[in-house]
Amino acid sequence: MHIICCIKQVPDTAQVKIDPDTNTLIRSGVESICNPYDLVAVESAVQLVEKYGGKVTVISMGPPQTESALREALSLGAHQAILLSDKAFAGSDTLATSYTLARAISKIGGSEPVELIMCGKQAIDGDTGQNGPGITTRLGCTLFTYVSEIRDVDIKNGFITVRREVEGGSEIVKGKMPALLTVELQLGTPRYASLPELVKSLREEVNVWGASEIEALPERLGVKGSPTVVRSISAPEARKGGLTFNAEQDDKAVENFLDKLFDREAATLSEILMKTKGTHA
Amino acid sequence: MPKNSKGRNVAEIIPDRCIGCQLCVGECPVEAIHMEADVAKIDSEICIGCGRCFNVCPVDAVIFEKPKKKQLTGAGQVRRPLEDYRGIAVFIEVRNGVVAPVSWELAGKARELAEKLGVSVHGFLVGANVQMVAKAAISYGCDTVQVIDYPLLKQYTSRAYGKALVQLCEQVKPEVFLLGATPLGRDLSGVVATQLETGLTADCTGLNIDPKERLLLMTRPTFGGNIMATIVCRNHRPQMSTVRPGVMKMPPKDRSRLGEIRAVDFSISESELPVVVDFIPTPEDLSGVDITRVPALIVVGKGACDARYLPMLEELAQVLSGTIACSRPVVQLGLMPYIRQVGQTGRTVAPKIYVGIGVSGAVQHLVGMQASEKIIAINIDPHAPLMEMADYAIIGDYSKIVPKLITGIRDRSRSMEVKRRP
Repeated sequence: MHIICCIKQVPDTAQVKIDPDTNTLIRSGVESICNPYDLVAVESAVQLVEKYGGKVTVISMGPPQTESALREALSLGAHQAILLSDKAFAGSDTLATSYTLARAISKIGGSEPVELIMCGKQAIDGDTGQNGPGITTRLGCTLFTYVSEIRDVDIKNGFITVRREVEGGSEIVKGKMPALLTVELQLGTPRYASLPELVKSLREEVNVWGASEIEALPERLGVKGSPTVVRSISAPEARKGGLTFNAEQDDKAVENFLDKLFDREAATLSEILMKTKGTHA
Repeated sequence: MPKNSKGRNVAEIIPDRCIGCQLCVGECPVEAIHMEADVAKIDSEICIGCGRCFNVCPVDAVIFEKPKKKQLTGAGQVRRPLEDYRGIAVFIEVRNGVVAPVSWELAGKARELAEKLGVSVHGFLVGANVQMVAKAAISYGCDTVQVIDYPLLKQYTSRAYGKALVQLCEQVKPEVFLLGATPLGRDLSGVVATQLETGLTADCTGLNIDPKERLLLMTRPTFGGNIMATIVCRNHRPQMSTVRPGVMKMPPKDRSRLGEIRAVDFSISESELPVVVDFIPTPEDLSGVDITRVPALIVVGKGACDARYLPMLEELAQVLSGTIACSRPVVQLGLMPYIRQVGQTGRTVAPKIYVGIGVSGAVQHLVGMQASEKIIAINIDPHAPLMEMADYAIIGDYSKIVPKLITGIRDRSRSMEVKRRP
């Protein structure tokens, strides 16, 4: 079977820090990494292909340096990588991004039919998780979001059964392929690429496709194809620190703190503390 | 004003202001702009001085000589006159007969926005046997409730719910459509917005109206929560937005409110849909935990991961009639389930009292709790970001501080009770 994984290169948000003086983001020196959820998607796609045979194609939309994320996917065992990079794609919002990715998937599927599309449930830089549903809707395939386990793939009859995490529990769902899966971290742990695989992944060719290669309508791409625009930017209201009590130096620090707390926040505390007393009585 | 070797007035980027949104890169007709270390850079020899980048920049990071004429290039062609769309719609999310509280929070917000626009609030209620919820929707602020009650909508499937909501949007034509940013709402909003080919802004923390242009102003944290971006959707309708639970205030329930309940015809073929073959509920001790709805939260961080002290922290939660939550590293260590995680990849919380114990306060955590009313932080490191922003910061070893807090709060709440009783 043929699986396409959509991946995204993101800034490593774990490294992002705030400049305490200006209260702005320090972005210099922050590395770009492959979105961790997407790596899980690649890993499980590779596992599926190891079990059922077939091929994994990874695609990513972004500036030329996105190539490194694609190479990382290749080192994990993906077979083919395509970079969607074009000035015309810049400034894309969700609608334009899902259009571009769906066009690319249609193009790939035209020569090699696709059974599954897999992506992370969200990107750690945006956390919106809307591209999966968007791509699915454009391609008309079955959508499974928040997949934590792949139970069964019935290639002969074209069905897949997965476990999805939903509020209050998880559900086991069976649906038709082609399907798009957005995956949870629980689905798998990306393997460590061996040295030969790493070296091989660096030698492999990454194809670059632009607007003409995916036969896209120019008015639906990038800024032009994005209904939403940023109108203004502001700094979030910063919270200023308040009182400090040093329990390392002062034995009475906790007592002093409680006195202040019960004095200043008396209304809030009595509401919280009395409410439960009432209900339990 | 900078000129290039051809003597042309060219545009220039102020790197400190640039947020790396790349709008100018896409706008430039001669490909003179590229990204360098996340900041746009203009090649002055290629630049033709057209000023498009100046017009499109949302943060005024472009220096250019022409008089400032702000004309943001909204996208695409308008398919239907925008005036055809009126009113604010809210998706009322029902799971197993229970309404997600965020739906009522949105109904309350929609009421406020509708008053500014002089329009009605429509509740979009979709499911199987959901009729009984319609009245409550009116009590919480809806003027009409459009109900699609259909057996195959008993279980959520993206396709069936997507179809139902697209149909309602096409019939009612709301100018604004709001959904909760729950797992279900995120799944659904992406499907609906794509089918309607309209803009969608996810995880908004603020919604307002620009009355002059009748635009919804959607504010959301971006770049790890350190910048707030206000986003608009000019030429497409409805203007769609999802909002996280607990961000908007719960409106009062007014049973005297009147409204219209309308049943809407709908059909979908079963063969189109995936089938839910089984449901595995989360283990009992976890179900019902909703850290977004508790007035006091005891949040355990990486610096308080000693399992021996966990019962003590639970006791503290108990005396404050709150519950235990945690930061991401604690979930990664396997000490607590994901359902209790606060932060960007967990839940957004805004309790009356937030007590962070050994929580350093990474940006990703702060995004998810900065709306808390009062923040108390306990940490051995006085320079941890959370300590510096807390209303009350206690420096020290939590294993020694927490027992004192437990007895101290117990004593004081007892005396409070005594005072109350005459």
